[in-house]
Amino acid sequence: MTAMRPHHRGLLAFIIAVGGLLPPAMLRAQGGPADRQKVDPAAAARGRTVYAAHCINCHGSSAKGGPNGPDLIRSTAALRDRLGSHIGPAMRAAAGSHPATLTAEQIVDLSQFLRERVEAVARNRTPTAPIDVLTGDPEAGRTYFFGAGRCSTCHSPTGDFAGLRSRTPDALTLQQRFLFPTLTRSEKRVEVTVTPLSGAPVSGTLVRVDNFRVSLRDASGDYRAFSRVPGVKVEIRDPLTAHRDLLDEYTDDAIHDVVAYLWSLK
Amino acid sequence: MRIAAALLLVVLVAIHADAQGVVAPSALTQPATDSWPMYNGDYSGRRFSPLMIVNSSNVQSLSLGWTHRITAEGPAGGGGSTSAVIKGTPVVVNGVLYVTIPDHVWALDARSGRELWHATWPSRGGWHIGNRGVAVLGTSVYVSTPDCHLLALDNRTGKEKWRTEICDLDQFYYASAAPLIVKNHVIVGVSGDDLDIPGYIESHDPETGAMQWRWYTHPEPGTPEAKTWPSIEAMRHGGGMTWGSTTYDPELNLIYFGTGNPQPVINGRKRQGDNLYTESSVALNPDTGKLAWYFQSSPHDTHDWDATQTPVLFDGTIDGEPRKLLAQAARNGWFFVLDRQTGRNISSTEYVKTNWTSDLDAKGQPIPNPRKEPQVDGALVSPNQAGGQNWPPPSFSPETGLFYVNATRAFSVYYLYENENDDKPQGWGGNDRGGWSEAMLLGLDYQTGKARWRFSWEGSPTTRSGLLSTAGNLLFAGDSANNFVAFDAAQGVPLWRAGLHASITNGPITYQLDGIQYIVVAANDTLYAFAATAPAGQP
Repeated sequence: MTAMRPHHRGLLAFIIAVGGLLPPAMLRAQGGPADRQKVDPAAAARGRTVYAAHCINCHGSSAKGGPNGPDLIRSTAALRDRLGSHIGPAMRAAAGSHPATLTAEQIVDLSQFLRERVEAVARNRTPTAPIDVLTGDPEAGRTYFFGAGRCSTCHSPTGDFAGLRSRTPDALTLQQRFLFPTLTRSEKRVEVTVTPLSGAPVSGTLVRVDNFRVSLRDASGDYRAFSRVPGVKVEIRDPLTAHRDLLDEYTDDAIHDVVAYLWSLK
Repeated sequence: MRIAAALLLVVLVAIHADAQGVVAPSALTQPATDSWPMYNGDYSGRRFSPLMIVNSSNVQSLSLGWTHRITAEGPAGGGGSTSAVIKGTPVVVNGVLYVTIPDHVWALDARSGRELWHATWPSRGGWHIGNRGVAVLGTSVYVSTPDCHLLALDNRTGKEKWRTEICDLDQFYYASAAPLIVKNHVIVGVSGDDLDIPGYIESHDPETGAMQWRWYTHPEPGTPEAKTWPSIEAMRHGGGMTWGSTTYDPELNLIYFGTGNPQPVINGRKRQGDNLYTESSVALNPDTGKLAWYFQSSPHDTHDWDATQTPVLFDGTIDGEPRKLLAQAARNGWFFVLDRQTGRNISSTEYVKTNWTSDLDAKGQPIPNPRKEPQVDGALVSPNQAGGQNWPPPSFSPETGLFYVNATRAFSVYYLYENENDDKPQGWGGNDRGGWSEAMLLGLDYQTGKARWRFSWEGSPTTRSGLLSTAGNLLFAGDSANNFVAFDAAQGVPLWRAGLHASITNGPITYQLDGIQYIVVAANDTLYAFAATAPAGQP
């Protein structure tokens, strides 16, 4: 399934893939009362039918209101409702414009449908449909890769990027990895050389650095740590420095073109 | 309020009852150096202390006085972290230190960290993202809760005096801000941006909790400002929360605060216009709640850049003239200096490099580049959603004339989702993702807006440490590598460092008791009090 574009996949598979990138808290609304009703999908589906039969003409296809009826997602009666406790009386209070024939069960189902709609809006910081980032021109991306972007200085479509698409879950991930690369899938590491106050310089793979201490693992695998007191020299060689500098240079068009080109490297 | 204190603590409370005493209004207009009587230390928001027992010559002798670790069960309901992280600023009066997390208030002996009482609130929900702390007046301690309550507690016991609802949990509002006492007003703001709800700030009677006024962060229909929205409905569901800190000028009798992001947050296509008064610095009369002026730092924002950073008040000199100033390092990456009598802009400067602004308008407000609004296929934007600055409080030293900000330069990609893909987007409608960032401590010259010095935090992509400056030429700050550092405030050179068990999560405070100056700061669940004693013969 690695070579498929996101919108060719099942929606559920995509949501799982995206969900894997997000902290769990982002998948639900962040606020709201603890005692609000939990959506029963079967009841909400029945409620959708009730809504379509009796409510949709005035309150709109997504319950966000229409010319003759208010937005129900923003209605305090709907937001305070618990299984019909508020929307039932609200409909009765405006009996002239609301159907008198709804049963108590239908009102509960309607309440479940509206709660489902409210929760969908409250979760709307998380994507529920694929993000299509493949809007660029692959040929322009190729030109940028070998030209202005200087990507080919370090990367090659027949070398490290051969079969890139087969190793990347989706184009959105590719865009993120291109803009904000890490070394987790690379054999390269951040290297450091520390010159202590006395003794020879020590080089190795950076473990941790702040303004006051630095630590590394040397070629023999030993852990070495130093306090950065005046006179101690620290030289860090980060293979990703060039990528960070490019963040100030990229245009959004170039980003989309490069992603389209890289996605073509099957 | 359920009291979690055992009988032993009740005895301790009785012993300390005299110490807790009564806080008079004058204690707020002229704070004593043995206190830190409100969120920002005083009304100005400068977080500057005149104390100088600890100073740039002797800071190496600063040592650990006490620590106190809070333990609390997670919230009874609602979203957010269940871990105990202190994100508020402690308040110290009459030798007692009050510290909070959502649904919890502790009173500690400010000399030892010993617990006097612990009050817990059974939550009905709301986002438990953080609590910024208490306000104190008379014998009351005021705190807001995630489930939309403002509480008054007895300062001797933590027992509830009164409670009042300040927002509607069913509309997904919540509360996190520290209340501010101004005369006989308890002023408190609200939070919430899951649904499209209007922001407001309100004032309550300190004795009864009765509401005195409420000011919505949108214009009145029919006013010229209302034309910055496409419709009255969009305006009345347009966000603009008030979760930052409020400052006050007693002479001008104006309170100042910043407002949050417009709604829908990311998809702004159906709220064309500037969207007043979202993402603005505003000045209100604290007695009436009437608007005096506004300055919008992010017209028509689509990046969640709440302009709720502290509006810091100080008097300075601009072009040779003495001026009453207000300065803010806003989340959108810009540093604004305003005349706080009129709200007129004096200067607007980027304090971190950004890429979303095409120009400044005649009022000094940044003009957003439409190409950097969120796009379906992504737009690379700097700063990211967390911003150049967020809730950690800045500091201003009148001794150095520098405005200090613990800043982050960050990039992320903003996507517009095709969720809810109809003609009426609601909620967020997008988000940002990924990124790269670097953190730095800046000393900004308010006269030029430029950094007089810059200290890069190595190994810290960002930081959540607030700042404290003192007359001892010191600036206290933290990074994200567990360092708590004292800098030479004039030069930006680190002079002293303590390695804590976690990174700083609040703004440091200072107070002096019995000739000992304390510097208190929080790292996650633990308060660290560093202390230094005055040399013999000095007070």
